[in-house]
Amino acid sequence: MSEEATTGTTTGLEAGTETATADVATAPEHQQGNEVLAIAIGVAGWLVPGLGHALQKMWGRALACFLTVGALVFLGVGMRGNVFGSEGGDAFGMLGYIADLGTGSFYFAARALETQGSDVAHAEGDYGTRFLAAAGVLNLLAALHAYEAARGRKA
Amino acid sequence: MIATIALTLSHFQAMTLFALLISVAFGFLSRRRTSDRVKYIIWSLFLFLLIGVGIGWAMYPFSR
Repeated sequence: MSEEATTGTTTGLEAGTETATADVATAPEHQQGNEVLAIAIGVAGWLVPGLGHALQKMWGRALACFLTVGALVFLGVGMRGNVFGSEGGDAFGMLGYIADLGTGSFYFAARALETQGSDVAHAEGDYGTRFLAAAGVLNLLAALHAYEAARGRKA
Repeated sequence: MIATIALTLSHFQAMTLFALLISVAFGFLSRRRTSDRVKYIIWSLFLFLLIGVGIGWAMYPFSR
């Protein structure tokens, strides 16, 4: 995105001084608009896994993010993993909450679906907790990737 | 609905599923071409399993 602004300025300088001045004046606004759009895409990608990529027509990545994050959450809940709440208390509970929140809207789906509560006394429940945390961290990574792609970085 | 489905997976099954899902996500995010993605996913899955089983065996003497 910033590359476009730079190119525009160069073209303006070649055309004439007035055009160049106008381009230089609009370039920061253009960049700021792109930055806001990139942040919005990143937030969308966090809220709904894959949406950040879908908005940029990266269909394969969007589908992969949605399905992998969804499958991890589904398996985590199915194995009765611990879906951490904000009232966790200790530092590990808070870290788990932050990781789980990384799944965006899927966090609330997981809380709603796990009606029987967690069962970390068994290995499955412990694995389920890790699956849920990994889903959150993976979705945060995907959202960051979508944000960087929206900023024009090679992705 | 989902909570009534009790998923009982062995350690290896859980590790394999986890490795597969993460490998697919990483493959799609980090590579553009389909062939590169397939190579990356297979290689990443293989390393996940190799290192997972390797660490499991390394911990075996201390397990009891």
